[in-house]
Amino acid sequence: MKRRTVPWDLVLVALVAVAAWFVPEAMKALFGRASISYLSLVINALSLAVLALSWDMLARTGQLSLAHAAFYGLGAYTTALLLKHLAWPIWIGIPLGGVVAVGFAVLLGSLTLRLRAIYFAIATLAFAEVLKSLVHNLPTEFAGGNAGMNVAPLFRPQFVAGQMERWEVAFLRNEAYFYVYAGLLVATVLASIVLQRSRLRHAFIAIRTNEDVAGVMGVRPARVKLLAFAVSSLFVGMLGAVEAHRVGSVLPDQSFAVATTVLALVTPIFGGLYTTLGPIVGAIGLSSVQELLKRSLSEGYLIGYGLVLVLSILFMPRGVVGVIGRALRRRRTNAQRRAIAMAGGGAPDEGASEPGAPPEPPARPGGTA
Amino acid sequence: MTPLLRAIGLTKRFGGLAAVEDVSFDVAPGEIFAIIGPNGAGKTTVLNLLSGLLAPTSGRLELDGHDLTTRSTAERCHAGLGRAFQVVQPFPEMTVRDNVLVGALFGHPGVPRAEAERRADEALERTGLTALADVDAEELTLMQEKRLEIARALATQPRVLLLDEVMAGLRPAEARDAVQLVKGVRDGGVTVVFIEHVMPVVRDLADRVLVMDHGQVLTEGPYAEVVQDPRVIEAYLGKEGA
Repeated sequence: MKRRTVPWDLVLVALVAVAAWFVPEAMKALFGRASISYLSLVINALSLAVLALSWDMLARTGQLSLAHAAFYGLGAYTTALLLKHLAWPIWIGIPLGGVVAVGFAVLLGSLTLRLRAIYFAIATLAFAEVLKSLVHNLPTEFAGGNAGMNVAPLFRPQFVAGQMERWEVAFLRNEAYFYVYAGLLVATVLASIVLQRSRLRHAFIAIRTNEDVAGVMGVRPARVKLLAFAVSSLFVGMLGAVEAHRVGSVLPDQSFAVATTVLALVTPIFGGLYTTLGPIVGAIGLSSVQELLKRSLSEGYLIGYGLVLVLSILFMPRGVVGVIGRALRRRRTNAQRRAIAMAGGGAPDEGASEPGAPPEPPARPGGTA
Repeated sequence: MTPLLRAIGLTKRFGGLAAVEDVSFDVAPGEIFAIIGPNGAGKTTVLNLLSGLLAPTSGRLELDGHDLTTRSTAERCHAGLGRAFQVVQPFPEMTVRDNVLVGALFGHPGVPRAEAERRADEALERTGLTALADVDAEELTLMQEKRLEIARALATQPRVLLLDEVMAGLRPAEARDAVQLVKGVRDGGVTVVFIEHVMPVVRDLADRVLVMDHGQVLTEGPYAEVVQDPRVIEAYLGKEGA
C-alpha cells in the first residue's frame, strides 16, 4: 500500500495560515472599535490552543503531566529576568524561554522516567509546586519575590494625530500580538504534524499502550519520552514568555498557576486527545463556551462552565473529534468485520477463545470432530 | 555447533524467594527449544530474564557470544531477541499493519521507512494476516491476535524468537495451525525458544525440551526421553502418580 501523496493536513494548515493573515483587518472593517476586544478573545483562544496542543504532544507518550504550568512559568520568568538584568534585544527572551523550559523538562523527565500513571502525575505536580515556591523565595532584588516583575510589551504602536483615531493604537497592538500568537500556533501545529507523520507516532502509541511491549519491540521508551517532554515544553515555554510580554508582568502565583495546568489538560480532553486537531477544536470550543456563558450569566458563569465540562466528558469520552471520528468509522468497522469473517479464525466473541479456556470444546463446523 | 543463545546460571530472587535458581541451557542455531514445567516452575520468569523485562540477581546471558546480561529490552531486541507475549497485547488504536510496523520500524535502529514497510508486509504474509492488514487490532479474534503477536515479533527480524504459551486458549484445529506457523518460522531461519503447557504441541514442535520445577532445571533432552523421566512424571503428577 502506498501512502497518500497529497499531504492534506499540511495543505489545510497553509490555507488556514493564509486566511488568518486577513483576520485582523477583516475584523476591523466589520466591527470597528469593538474589534479590539474581539481580537483579544481570538488571541486568548490561540494561546489556549498552543497550551493544549503542547500538553497533548507529551500526553501521547502516556505521560499525563501536571507540570505544564511550570514550563509556562519558566518561559515567562526567563524573558522577565533577561529584560531586568541584561540589555539584550527583547525578542531573544521568547526562544530562550523555550530553551530554559526544555532544560528543566529534560531534567524532570529523566527523574520521572520510571514512574507510571498516577505516580508520574503526582511527581510532576510536586515539581511544579516546588518550583513555584522556589521562585517565591528567590532574592527580591533578583526576581521580584512575591511582587514579581514588570515585563515590557513587545509592541508600542504610536498615535499619529490626523492619520488615525485614538482607539486604533490599541487595535494595532492587538493586531501585532495576533500575528505572534498565530505564528506560535502554526509552529506548534507543524511540530505536532511532523511527529504524527513520522515513525515516532508508532512509538508514542506503543509506549502509551504498554511500555514493556514497546521495549521488547525495540522502541527505546526513555529516549522517546524525553523527546516528547522537550518538544512539549519548548512550545509552552515560548508561550509563557510571549504571555509575560502581553500581560506586562510576571508573578509566582500567576505564572505558575495550577489553573494553567488544568486548562492544558482539560482542553485536549474536551476536543480529543492524542490528535493535532483535538486540542485546537477544544480551545475554540471552550473559549466560545466560556465567553457565551460569561455574557449570558454574569454571576456564577464558572458553574455553567464546569457543568459543560462534566457533561462533555461523560458523553464524549474521546472528545469532539472522537464523536466525529466514530461516525466516520462506523462504516469502516462493518467492512472490517466482513474481512475478519472471510479470513476465518472464528467469530470475534466466541467464548471458547477466552485465554485460559481448556482447548477441548468442539471444533468449528467443518472442523474435525 | 556453537550455541546461539546461552543462559549461564540465571538466578532471580524476589526478596528471599528464588523464582529461578541457577538455570543454564544452550540453544543451537535453527533449533526449536521448549521450556516446560508445572505452574509456578518459573518458566515465564526465565523468559522475562531472557527478554530483559527482569534483571537477573546473578547469572549471564549471551547471544552469539555477546553478553546481553545488562542490556535493556530494546537493546536486546536490536541484538536479535524477539518476543511474543502469552497475554496478547496488541496496540488497539492501530491497524494490524501499523502494529506490525512498530516492530519493523524499531526492531533495528535506522531502518528506512520503505524497508520497514516491506518487512512488515512480509511478516503479515508469513503469519497469514495480509487480508486483515487494514483492520483495527481490537477487532481481531484470539487466534488472529496470537498471529499478530508473532507477526510483530517477526517484523523485528529476530535471530531468536521467544514464544510464551502461544497455544493457550486455542482449539485443537487452531493449535495445529499455530504449530505449522512456528515450524515455518524456524524454516525461515529463526531459532525458537517457547514455553508451552499443551504437551502434544511440545511433542510436535520441540527438538529439545528443558523441564523446570520449583525454579530449577529438572532435566533436559528430547521430548520422548524427558517424558519417561520419573522425576518429570513426579513433578507433574505428584509422588503418588509416580
